[in-house]
Amino acid sequence: MRQYIIRRVLLMIPTLLGASILIFFVFALTPGDFVDTNLKLTPQRAQELRVLYGLDKPIIERYFIWIGNVLRGDFGFSFKYQEPVSDVIKHYLWNSFLIAFVSSILTWCIAVAVGVFSAIKRYSWFDTLVTLGVFAAMSFPSFFIGLLLIKYFALDWKVFPVGGMTTTGSELAGFGHWVDVAKHMFLPVLVLTMLSVGTLTRYFRTNMLEVIRQDFVRTARAKGLKEKVVVYKHALRNALLPAITLLGFELPALFGGAIITEKIFNWPGIGRIHMEALAFRDYPLLMGLTMLLAILTVVGNLIADVLYGVADPRVRLK
Amino acid sequence: MKKKASGVFLSILSSALLLTACVEQAATPTETAQPATTNLQSVQDQVIQASDKSKQPEIAKKRTDTFIASISTPEGIFNPYFFHNGWDGNVTNVLFASLVSVDKEGKPVPQLAEKWDISDDQLTYTFHLKKGVTYRDGSPLTADDVAFTLTILHDKSYDGEIDISQAHIQGGQEYKEGKATSISGIKVIDPQTIQITTDKVSAKSLLLLGGPVLSKAYYGKSYKQGDLAYIRELHGKPLESGPYILDTFIPGQEVRFVANEKYFAGKPKVKNLIYKVTDRDTNYQLFQAGELDHAGFTANGETLEQLKALGFANIETYTASSYGFIDFNHQKPYFKDKKVRQAFIYGLNRQQILDAVYQGYAVVANIPSSPVSWAYTDDVNKYEYNPEKAKQLLDEAGWKVGADGIREKDGQKLKIRFLGSKSKLHDALIPIAKENFQELGISFEAEILDFNALIAKQQKGDYDLASFSTPQLLDPSEGVESFSSTYPDNNGYSNPKVDQLLKDSISTLDIEKRKPIYVELFKELNDDPPYIFLYNRKIMSAYSARITGLTQNTYTNFDASLNQIQIEK
Repeated sequence: MRQYIIRRVLLMIPTLLGASILIFFVFALTPGDFVDTNLKLTPQRAQELRVLYGLDKPIIERYFIWIGNVLRGDFGFSFKYQEPVSDVIKHYLWNSFLIAFVSSILTWCIAVAVGVFSAIKRYSWFDTLVTLGVFAAMSFPSFFIGLLLIKYFALDWKVFPVGGMTTTGSELAGFGHWVDVAKHMFLPVLVLTMLSVGTLTRYFRTNMLEVIRQDFVRTARAKGLKEKVVVYKHALRNALLPAITLLGFELPALFGGAIITEKIFNWPGIGRIHMEALAFRDYPLLMGLTMLLAILTVVGNLIADVLYGVADPRVRLK
Repeated sequence: MKKKASGVFLSILSSALLLTACVEQAATPTETAQPATTNLQSVQDQVIQASDKSKQPEIAKKRTDTFIASISTPEGIFNPYFFHNGWDGNVTNVLFASLVSVDKEGKPVPQLAEKWDISDDQLTYTFHLKKGVTYRDGSPLTADDVAFTLTILHDKSYDGEIDISQAHIQGGQEYKEGKATSISGIKVIDPQTIQITTDKVSAKSLLLLGGPVLSKAYYGKSYKQGDLAYIRELHGKPLESGPYILDTFIPGQEVRFVANEKYFAGKPKVKNLIYKVTDRDTNYQLFQAGELDHAGFTANGETLEQLKALGFANIETYTASSYGFIDFNHQKPYFKDKKVRQAFIYGLNRQQILDAVYQGYAVVANIPSSPVSWAYTDDVNKYEYNPEKAKQLLDEAGWKVGADGIREKDGQKLKIRFLGSKSKLHDALIPIAKENFQELGISFEAEILDFNALIAKQQKGDYDLASFSTPQLLDPSEGVESFSSTYPDNNGYSNPKVDQLLKDSISTLDIEKRKPIYVELFKELNDDPPYIFLYNRKIMSAYSARITGLTQNTYTNFDASLNQIQIEK
C-alpha cells in the first residue's frame, strides 16, 4: 500500500507538469493580453507596459520564468491586484470553501438518506414525489432560483439578508460574527444544495437498487437476518463504495467557487476572481488559480483511489 | 477603462469587460429581437424626486451616520496612479484630492490649486496651491509633493496606466532614460507655487499635471530612481487628502471610510461612508431592502418604473460622456470610398437597435462626442435610416447587385465580417444589422469574442467592422485623436482636412477658440465617417430621499458633493 501511494505521488509530478504546460500555453496563446484591456493607452505606453510586465518575451521563455518561480514557491504578482497571487487567493478562497463545504455535507446527507429510502420503497408515492422534487430543483437555473429566494425570503418575509457575507458596516466579532455569516450563507447554501442534490440522490438510488438485487443480499435474507441489518449493514455499505470516486471529485469543487450563485448573492468568493482573471488576462493569477484546481483534482483522485483500497479489499493493490 | 487624469469611472465598459464568452457563432436571423415599439421618445436627462419619503425601509431609517453606496469590484489598489480597475479609481477619488478637477461640462476647475496661470506661449503652467492644505496626518501638502508625484510617473519602473509623456514635461524623457536625476521642466518656486514647463502645447496637459498629489514624505521615503517596487506595500495604506480616509477594506465586501477631519474644504457631515460591493443584478433588491443608500442601475424604462414604485427613491438620469461606435477597417479597399461608408450608416437602423436595447435610454450618435461635452454640436447630417439612399450610394460607388443578390465590384463580393463582444447591445444589433444589410445586398457575418480577443483581432486588422464603446471622455480630443493619419494606432483612416483640424484643436488651450474648430471637425468626420457612430448612453442612479445635499454628474459622480451630504433624521 505504501509503495502504491509513493508511486502515485511520484506520478503526480509529470502529470502536473504536463498540465501546467498545457494550461500556460492555452492561456498565453488566447488572443489579447493584459495591456489590451485599457483602450486609452497609446501604443508606445502599451509597449512600455508589456516590457515591464514581461509580456514582450517569447512564450516559451515566459513559461520557464514562471515554472522556475513556482518551483521556488513563488506564484508571482497578480497584475491586476498588485499583490502576490497567494494573497489574492487567500482573500477569497475560504469564503467559497465555506459555502461549498456546508452545502456538500448537506447534499451528501440528504442524497444518501433520500436515495436509499426511495430505493427501498421503489415506485411508492414517496419515491415518485422525491424524484419529481429533485428533478425540479436541479432543472431551475441558479440565477432564477436565487432571485426567487431573495424575493420571498429577503424582501417579502425579511427572514434572511439579500446578499453579502456580513451585515454592511457590522463591527461584530467572534460568535456574533459567525451568527451573522450563518444568516447570510443560508440562501446561497440552499441554492447550491438544491442544484446538486438531485444528481446524487438519483445516483444513490440506482446504486442501492443494483446492490439490493445481488446474490449476497439474498443470501443475507435467507440466513434470516433482519431486514434492517440486510439493508443498512450489508447493502448500504456496498452501495456507497462507488461514491468514493465521486468524493474525490468533490475536492476541487469545494475550492472552485460557484460563479453564478456567488454573483447573485454578492458572496465574496473565488469564482468571480477566477473568471475576471481570465477576462483581463491576469496571467499570474489565472495560472495560480487554475493550477490550484489541477493539483486538487489530482490529489482528489489519489485520495479516492487510496480510500477505495481501504474500503474494498477486492481492489486493493499490492 | 478609467479616466486618466481624474479617475472617473466607466461602469458601462467595466461591466462589459466582465461578460466574456468563448468564440461562438452569432444568432441567426430567425432569432431577431423585435423591439416592442419603434421610435421611442428618447428620455431627457432628469431628476425624479421621491414621491413618499416615509416608505423608507426601517433598516435605512435607523442608519443616521453612515452613507452606503454601491460599487462593483474594488480590488484594493488605493493609489490613484497604480490601480488597474476603474472601481479602485472610484475609491481613490474619495481618498485623494487633485490640484484640478472638472465641472459638469468637463471643464477644468481648481480643487487643491487656488488657481493656475498659463504662459502666453501656452507651454508653462504655474500652479498656486491653496494655503493650509494638509494630509490626514496633519503634514502639509506642498509644491514638493506635486513635483514628487510628477517625477515618479516618469520613473522607468512605473507600471501604472497613466501616460505622463502626453503632458510633454521638459526633461521628462531624460529622467525616464536615466540621463538626468531630476526633471528640468519642474521647478518648485515656493511651498505654495510650482512651475512646470512643457515642450508642446497640448490640451491634455492641464489635467495630467493637475492630478491627485501623493505625499513625498510618505510615498517617497524609500524612493530611488528606477525602482518603485516598494510602493506596492503602500497601496492598501494610503495617506489621504480627500474628504474621507480609509478605515478598512474587506475584499469582495466593503470599503469603509471615515470622515477626514483635516479635509481642506471642511470635514464631511456624515461620519461614515461605505462602498458596498454589489452586483448590478441585485442592486435593486439591495436598494429596496434599504441596504444601499445610493446605487447605479442599468438605464431602461423597466428599471425606472420599479424605482418609482418604491416611493423613497430620488432617481437621476444623465448622459454618459462616452460614445459607442462600429469601427470600419480602413485598410480594406471597399471602405476607401466614403460613399460606401455612408451607405453603411444610412442602411443600418440604429434607432431600432437602441430602442430594443435601451428603451429610449440612449440616443443615436452622429459625431465622436457626447451631448454633455462643451464641444458637442448636433448641426450635422443625422443619417436617418434610409435603405433607398444607401442602395443609391452603393450603386454610385460601383457596387452592383450580382446574380446571388450580393453586391460586387471588379469581381469582389461585398462580404462583411463583424466582431463584437458578448453584450445585450450585440444581441440586438447583430440580427437587425444582418437583416438591414441583406436588404442592401451586403453579406454580413458576425462573430462574438471575448473583449481582449476582440481587441487583439482588431489590432491585427483581421475584421471589417468591430463594435466598441469609448471609455469616459474628458477632453474632446480623447474621442478623436486616433483619426489622425499620424497617430501611432491609426486604423488606416486618412483625411488631410481632419489632420489639420485635429492639430488646430489641441494647439490652443482656450476653450472658446477650440469650440468652432471642433464643430468643423465633427462636421467633416460626420461626412467622411471613420466609424459608424452608434449611441450616447444614459446612466441611471437612485438614492434614498433621506440623503440631502447630494449632487452628481457624469464626470465626477457624486464625489464633489461628498462633504455636503447629510442624512435626514
